[in-house]
Amino acid sequence: MIRLVLERTVASLVVVLGAVTLIFLILNWLPGDPASLVAGEGASAETIEHVRIQLGTDRPLLRQYREYLVGLAHGDLGRSYVTREPVLAKIESQFPSTACLALASAAVAVALGIGMGVLSAVYRGRWVDQVFQVAALFLVSIPPFWLGLLGILLFSVKLRWLPVIGRGGVAPSVLPVACLGLIFSVPLLRMVRNGIIEALDEPYVMTLRAKGLRARRIVYVHVLRNVLMSTVTLLGILVGELLSGLVIVEILFARQGLGRLAVEAVSNKDMPVVQGAILLTSVAYVGINLLVDISYAWIDPRVRVAAAGRAR
Amino acid sequence: MIRLRALLTLFAVLAVGACGKGSSGGGGAGGGAASVQPIGQPVSGGELVFGFDGAAVTDFALDPHKSAFAPHHRVLRSIFDSLVVALPAHRYGPWLAKSWQISPDGRSYTFQLRDDVKFHDGTKFDAEAVKFNFDRVKDPKNAFFSTSDIGPYVSTTVVDAYTARVEFSEPYAPFLANLAKSSLGIVSPAAARTYGDQFPHHPVGTGPFRFKSLDPATEIALERNPDYKWPPAGAAHEGPAWLERLTFKNVPEEATRVAVLLNGQAGAVDLIPPQNLVELRSSADYQLVEGELLNHNYSLYLNVQREPWKDPRMREAFRKSLDLDAAVKTVYLGTAARAWSPLSPSILGYDESLEGSWKPDRAGAAAALDELGWKTGPDGVRVKDGKPLTVVFVDTQGNREKRLDLMTVLRHQLHDNGFDLHTDSEASGAYLAKSAAGDFDLLAGSLFAPDPDVLRRINSPSFRSVGGISKVDDPALNALLDAGYREMDPLARTKIYETAQRLIVDKTYAIPVYVLIYSVAAKRDVHGVAIDVNGFPVFYDTWIQS
Repeated sequence: MIRLVLERTVASLVVVLGAVTLIFLILNWLPGDPASLVAGEGASAETIEHVRIQLGTDRPLLRQYREYLVGLAHGDLGRSYVTREPVLAKIESQFPSTACLALASAAVAVALGIGMGVLSAVYRGRWVDQVFQVAALFLVSIPPFWLGLLGILLFSVKLRWLPVIGRGGVAPSVLPVACLGLIFSVPLLRMVRNGIIEALDEPYVMTLRAKGLRARRIVYVHVLRNVLMSTVTLLGILVGELLSGLVIVEILFARQGLGRLAVEAVSNKDMPVVQGAILLTSVAYVGINLLVDISYAWIDPRVRVAAAGRAR
Repeated sequence: MIRLRALLTLFAVLAVGACGKGSSGGGGAGGGAASVQPIGQPVSGGELVFGFDGAAVTDFALDPHKSAFAPHHRVLRSIFDSLVVALPAHRYGPWLAKSWQISPDGRSYTFQLRDDVKFHDGTKFDAEAVKFNFDRVKDPKNAFFSTSDIGPYVSTTVVDAYTARVEFSEPYAPFLANLAKSSLGIVSPAAARTYGDQFPHHPVGTGPFRFKSLDPATEIALERNPDYKWPPAGAAHEGPAWLERLTFKNVPEEATRVAVLLNGQAGAVDLIPPQNLVELRSSADYQLVEGELLNHNYSLYLNVQREPWKDPRMREAFRKSLDLDAAVKTVYLGTAARAWSPLSPSILGYDESLEGSWKPDRAGAAAALDELGWKTGPDGVRVKDGKPLTVVFVDTQGNREKRLDLMTVLRHQLHDNGFDLHTDSEASGAYLAKSAAGDFDLLAGSLFAPDPDVLRRINSPSFRSVGGISKVDDPALNALLDAGYREMDPLARTKIYETAQRLIVDKTYAIPVYVLIYSVAAKRDVHGVAIDVNGFPVFYDTWIQS
């Protein structure tokens, strides 16, 4: 098991390094000179040159890359071209909000997705199932900002139950979390429902039935465990999507967010900040996938056995 | 609830009042161009939460000399004071400067300063501080946006502790107008030295509110400056501001801004979307303050250095194919006025005679295009020598002020006459590269500025930025714009700029589109929110009815 974790961690580090390198190359290949952007409109050639030396973008590309990696190894993400602040400080100011929103939304999505999925499968074809199916179709077709806007109008303006903006406390996060959680629960709902329905025809379920187990025990203990494998994979993808795709909802609810920071930095060619944001996102993404991999072993004994077999 | 017409009447009334006073340093009447009439006696205390459109930007750059971003100047105005204040009808009143004299040759401005002003950090404001500020703006190492506000600045001489003389290498008429903008607000030299390049996150000025804290992307918290006793001419009261706290919340989404006003999370919000403006105007629970932003109006600039737009007849055919009245009405629902000149109407030298001087003429444009060899192809797009009549519009701003909605309407109008408009949305880096290389057919933009010299900032090859929207290089226009900033007599200046505007419109260098009216909606119990002559919000006289 430990060996499995180590293997995956090393592989993950390679992925992160690849992502950092790729983004470094892409940023340098994109048009636009960071120095003239920082110098601003109407700056003279002399000023731009001065800024270029200050930023260090006059150095050869390979050297910039090497120095960046050396800095990374020392935990130094560099300084923003635009504000000259340490990149880490900028990220620290924006990331917690994104992480909280993403994790809370994922938790809501999991609870709703699995709950509704199981009910839908158990009561297949009945009215509960039909209500969930229609709701899912509705939620999957609606863009998050639109659902958020409707939520604002109903719960904040009309009923005045919830604040629209703000920080700290649970109240300002209820609407964005509910809106994202609902939308992201749909793929989970569908996967769990279909997984259970398919599994109910599997031979092992027949065996369990033949053993005389109660239907409820079969679904909740045996079938659900099998379905969880694919659900966890999907969850990994969804959390990644949540971490990187919250920008619009963050802007709608006037929240801080890593996505906003990244978009702004890309636009200004503020390369250290973009690299920092991408680095963090890729670490989070890879970390989630690592957790997913490890959870396979926990959910499915076969993976454990296979890993142990290779170890021998 | 003051509409544009009422606003203009107000200008006229104030102008008459101000003219009676005479001398250049005299106090004028009424600093605000528009303000909500206070009801009852103002009370001190309380917090105003102001939801403003700060775009998706996460970095609040609160250095008046550095920032080129209008939303940040809406915050800066409360932290930083200026030497002079702009009054209606192109007049200026005392603020941190008690009085001033301009030398007959227009190259030297001498200011007598107030001697009782302190920065928020406790240091004294004096002639040395004024010198520090202008030298800071001019220093090429700082690369500040405000550099273009001080033009041919040479140096500041400290005549005595409270007298400063600012010297220019040539006559410089726009100086007072630029001086009244927050972009030449006075920063604390001590703080600027201490914080260095981190000053934008530790702004220290002399304003009625001092900086308390900020949350990147979402909030800037200010608190009352208890020592404040140097309001500008025209303020409604003296002494410290009424509000104890003033909190700016960045709410970039317009629907959310309206929602936080309606659910009470904000006491006032700005830049109300047209559909809500109409509704809020008729509501008894809210009040609306509106003021024209002194601005180079949002205008379309065809690339005059590229075929086929080198030919003025092509540019004219393009303009004649547009029905701007219809487009502006459709998109802004009557809340923004149609523009006729690149200058907004309240800027010195605005040429009224341009109004109605050019009209849509689809048939005329079609005939001209036919004559020039652009024949309609099978898909409705005109073709010449196998080349379709494509117009690539390069943009980086997105739908701010509903500009992309507007372009969508224009695209349909143009298509009806055989033009094929494409919008190419780019990040600002790529946008600047493309505009500098001339790799576009059409650019569009605006620039907030209180003086007609903005035409030089946009159009003059020797003064504009390489990535600017205009690629015009017309010796006649350049000569006019150079003469304009050197001419000290307002009447002669007006004549010069009238000729320049007519030239820009006649040759279709710019196609002005709309006049931006800056709007603030406040709850009924929030009084005295004002919009200054430049079109920026002022909270010094604001108070909350308990």
